[in-house]
Amino acid sequence: MADAALSFSETSTKAVAAPRSRARRGAMRWVVLAILVVLLLLTLFPFLLALINAVKDGVDYSKGGPLSIPTRIDMGSLSSFWNTSDFSRKLLNSVIISVCVAVFGALLSLFNAYAIGIGKVRGSRVILVVLLLGIMVPQESIIYPLYYMAKATGLYDTQLAVIIIFAVLQSAFGTYLLSSVLGSFPREIIEAAEIDGATSWQILWSVIVPVLRPTLMVLGTFFFIWTWNEFLIPLVMLVSNNNQTVSVAMGLTRGQNLSDPTLQAAASLLGIAPTIVFFLIFQRTLTRGVAVGAVK
Amino acid sequence: MAAAQGTYATQRWGYYFYLIPGVLGFLLVVLIPQVSNFVLSFTTWKGVGLPRWVGMQNYQRLITDDQFWGSMIHTLLFIISMTIIPVIIGLVLAALLFDYIRDQWGEQVSSLFRAGFYLPQILPITTAGVLWGWILSPIGVVNIILKGIGLAPLAQNWVGDATWALPSVSFMIVWIQVGYCLVVFMSGLSRIDPSLYEAAELDGAGWWQRLTAITIPMLAPEIFVVVLTTLIAALKVFAPIFVLTAGGPDNATLVPSYLTYYHFFTTQRVGYAASIAVVQMALTVVLAIIFLRFQAQQQAKE
Amino acid sequence: MLKLSRLALAASLSTMLLAGVAHAQSKTFNIWWFEDPTSSENIAWTKALDEFKTKHPDVTVNFQLKTFQQLQASGSMILNSDQAPDVLEYNKGNATAGLVASQGLLTNLDDYVTKEGWDKILTPGDLTLSKYDDKGIYGSGHVFGISVYGEYVSCFYNVDMFEKAGLKVPTTIDEWVADMEAFKKQGVTPLALGAIDTSGQHLLASLAYTKADDTWIQNYQGLKAPLDGAPYLYAAQTLSDWVSKGYINKDSTGMKDPDAALLFTSGKAPMYVSGTWNLGNFASTIKDFKWSQFVIPTTKYSVGSTGNLWVVPKGSKNADLAAEWISLTLSPKYQTELANDGGVAIAADPATITNPVGKNAASVFKQIADKNGLGFYPDWPVPGYYDVLNQKDTGLFQGTLTPQQFVDQIKKVYDDAQSNQ
Repeated sequence: MADAALSFSETSTKAVAAPRSRARRGAMRWVVLAILVVLLLLTLFPFLLALINAVKDGVDYSKGGPLSIPTRIDMGSLSSFWNTSDFSRKLLNSVIISVCVAVFGALLSLFNAYAIGIGKVRGSRVILVVLLLGIMVPQESIIYPLYYMAKATGLYDTQLAVIIIFAVLQSAFGTYLLSSVLGSFPREIIEAAEIDGATSWQILWSVIVPVLRPTLMVLGTFFFIWTWNEFLIPLVMLVSNNNQTVSVAMGLTRGQNLSDPTLQAAASLLGIAPTIVFFLIFQRTLTRGVAVGAVK
Repeated sequence: MAAAQGTYATQRWGYYFYLIPGVLGFLLVVLIPQVSNFVLSFTTWKGVGLPRWVGMQNYQRLITDDQFWGSMIHTLLFIISMTIIPVIIGLVLAALLFDYIRDQWGEQVSSLFRAGFYLPQILPITTAGVLWGWILSPIGVVNIILKGIGLAPLAQNWVGDATWALPSVSFMIVWIQVGYCLVVFMSGLSRIDPSLYEAAELDGAGWWQRLTAITIPMLAPEIFVVVLTTLIAALKVFAPIFVLTAGGPDNATLVPSYLTYYHFFTTQRVGYAASIAVVQMALTVVLAIIFLRFQAQQQAKE
Repeated sequence: MLKLSRLALAASLSTMLLAGVAHAQSKTFNIWWFEDPTSSENIAWTKALDEFKTKHPDVTVNFQLKTFQQLQASGSMILNSDQAPDVLEYNKGNATAGLVASQGLLTNLDDYVTKEGWDKILTPGDLTLSKYDDKGIYGSGHVFGISVYGEYVSCFYNVDMFEKAGLKVPTTIDEWVADMEAFKKQGVTPLALGAIDTSGQHLLASLAYTKADDTWIQNYQGLKAPLDGAPYLYAAQTLSDWVSKGYINKDSTGMKDPDAALLFTSGKAPMYVSGTWNLGNFASTIKDFKWSQFVIPTTKYSVGSTGNLWVVPKGSKNADLAAEWISLTLSPKYQTELANDGGVAIAADPATITNPVGKNAASVFKQIADKNGLGFYPDWPVPGYYDVLNQKDTGLFQGTLTPQQFVDQIKKVYDDAQSNQ
C-alpha cells in the first residue's frame, strides 16, 4: 500500500504533457466536440434553473412554476435571503472554517504521511488502516459523543470544534493519499540530506514539501470544497446564528410546513458563488496535481 | 555508511513524533466517539438523561427489522451509481478530454470542460436536491420534454414510483460523482509519459486499445483511490436520499445512514440507531479491508 | 520604566474589571423563533419585540431567527446546554415539547399562568398542548409552554372556478364528491395533492377524523390503546376510490407540497387540502383569481391544533421578562396585529380585525376550538410516525398497498410503540 505509486514522473517537463500535435482531422473533431458540449449543457442545466428562479418573483412562480421564464427580474429573493440570513457573516464563517480545515487537514495529513511514508515507522501498515477509519465513520454515529465532549470542554457552539472535527476527518483521506505518494519518494535524496546532518524536520520542510506542493494544493482544494458543503455537524455544533455556516443558513428556506422555492433558488445561487470563485482560482492546481517537475 | 545507518535508525524513532497530532485527533474525533457509539448500541436512550442498559435487545430487533435489511440492499445498489458508473464515465471522459480534446482544441477548451463537469461537486447537496426535485417532479422538466417531443407514454412519476425512485436518485448521484473521478483521473493522466502513446500509435493501436493497454494500467493508483473512496461513500450515502425522496416511496430508497439519522434525531431511539451504525461501520471496514488487500496484491504483481 | 508599565497594567486591569462589573449588571434577554421571514407571525412578533425593547431600555435584547431544521434536529441538545436562550418557540407535542419537559429542561410556568392571567385569555382547550406530565405526555401536568396562534387544515378552493362550474361549497362529504365529479367531467383533476408530503397525510387524517369520536381521538393521540383502524380504513378506502375515479392526480406520489400548491396557485386544480400556513403565501402571490377555504365537512374533529409554544428553558435567568413577552404576544393588540397580517390568531376579537383573510381564519379556528374539535396531527402519537405515514401514503396512492394493507401496516408501527412505552 505504501508503495502504491501515485508517483512522481522523473522525466520532468516532458511528462507534464504538452498536447501531442497531430494532423487536425476534419469532421470527427466537431462531432466529438458537439457531443461533449451537449453533455456539458445537460450537466449545467440545473444551475440554469437555479439562476432563473433566483431572480423570479413570487407571483410569477405561483403562476408558472419553476420552468417559466420570469416576466421581470426580481432581486427580491436574493436580497431577502442575504439580509435575513446575514449572509455576509455566514460567508465569512464558512470561509474561515473551510480554509482552516484545508490548512490543518493538509498539515495533519502531511505529518502522518511523513511518518508512515518516509519514516516508515514500525506498524505503518496498521496505523494507516486505522487512520483510514476516519473516512468510514458515518457522521450520525459520532454526533452525540462529540456534542457531549464539546460541551464538557466548553467548545460547544464554537467554530474551533467544527474545525478540529473536520480537520481530523478529512486528514484520513489526505493521509492515505500522501502516504502513497511519499512511499515511493526516492530514498537517496533523504539519505543524502541526512548525511549532510539535516534533521527530519528540516528534511520535511526543505526537501519534501517543495516537491509535494502541488499535491498539497490539490488536497487543500478538495478539503475546502468538501468542508464548505458539510451540513450535519455544523448544524448540530453551531448554535448561535453568528457562528453558523452557509450550508446551515440554507435551512432558512425550508420552514416547518412550507418551503419557499424562489428563496431556495436564491439561496442556492448565493451558496455556490463563492465555491465557483474558489474553484476557478484553484483550477490550475488540479491539473498539475501529482505530476511534478524534475527531481534534482 | 555505518554512520548513515546509525543516524537513520535513531531518526526513524523520531518519526513517531510526527504521528502525535494525527493520532491524538483520531482518538478524540473518531475512536472515542465510535467506542461510545458501540457502548450506546447496548442501551436505550433518548439523547438526554441517562441511558438504560438493555444488552443485545437492539441487535435482536435489527435482525427482524425489514427496513434495515431493505436499506442494506439499497446501499449495495447505490454502489453502482456512486462507484461503478462514475468511475467508468470518469475514465472515458478523462481520456477523451486529456488526449483528444487537448490535441484538437487546445488546453483551454479541455480545462473548460473539466471545470464544467466538476461543478456539480461543489453544489451544496440540499440545493442539488431542490433543483433535481424540479427536474424529476411529475410536472417537471423531464416529463415536460418527453411530452413535448411526443414520448408522453415514457413520462413517469420519477421520484414517487417505487420502480423509478432508486434509479432516479442514482442518476442525480452520478451527475454529482463524475466530476470527482474526472478531476482525479485527469491529474493522473498528466504524469503518463506521452512517448508511450506515440509508440503505441506507431504500432497501430487504436484509441480503445491505447485506453485499455496503457491508460488504465498506468492510472491504477488513481483508480484504486477513487474506487475505494467512492465505495466507502456509497455505503455512507445519506444526503441525496435525504433531500430527494426522504427514503421513499414506501422505503424504496432507504439506506442505513438515513435510517440511523431517523432514529438518532426523529424517533430519538439513540441506542437502536447506534446499533445500526455499528453494523454499517463493520460492513464498511470489512469491505475496505478486502479491497485494500486486493489493491496490495495487484500492485505486488507489478 | 518598569514602574510605568506596571502602573499601566494595573490601570487597564482595573478598567476591565470595572467594565466587566458594569456589564454584568446590565441584563441580556435572548429570544429565538423560527417562523418564516414573510409569515404573519414573524411580522407581528417583530413589531411586538420593538415595543418590548422600548419598554426595557436597560436590557440588551438579542433576537435570533432560527431555522426549523436546526431546532428539529438538535433542539433537545441545545436546551441541554448553556447556549439555550431565555425564551424560544418550540414545536408542540409529545415528541418535542413533551420530551424536553419530561427531561426537566423547561421551566414550569404554572405560577405565571395565574399571575399573568393567561387562563383568562385562553380556554382550557387552548391549554391542552401546553401541559405535559412527567412522562412527557400532553394533556395533564404542569404548563410548560404557551401557544399564541392556531393552525388547522382545510380545503382551499378556487372561487372563480367554482362559480364558473356553478358549484357550491360542500357541507357534506357527498356534496364534496359531487363537486369533484363535476370538475372531472369537465376534464379537470379536482384535487391537488403532494403525497410525499404533509398534504397527503393531512387529507387522509381529515377524512379519518370525520368518523372519529372523543374516545377515539383521546386514545389515538394519547397512545392509550392499540389502534382502532376503522376511521383510517374508511379514509384509505375513500382515497383509493378517489384515485381510481381520477379525482386525485396519480402522479401525486411524486409531488411535494410546493408542487401541489403550484397546481392550485396556477389555476390548474380547483382544490387543495392543506394547512393555514399557506395563507400568507396565497395572499401575496395569487393575483389571478379569487380564492377561499372551506372546512372539510365533519361531525366534530378537524386536523389542527394550537400553534407552536413559547417555552422558557430551565436555565433562563430572565423568566419574568420571558413571561412578560408571552403576555405581550397574547395581548389584544398583538393578537389583532397577527390576524391583520393574515395569521390565525388564537384569541383575537373578530370585530377588531380588518384583514378578511385573518378574520376568516380566526373565526374558523374559534369555531373548531370552541367545540373542542382540534384533533391534532396524525403523526403525533408516535415519534417518527410522520415518515411512516408518508411512506405508506405513497403506497396507498400508488396502488401498491390496498386500503386494508395500509391500515395493517400503520397499525403495526402504532401498536409497537404503544406496547413499548
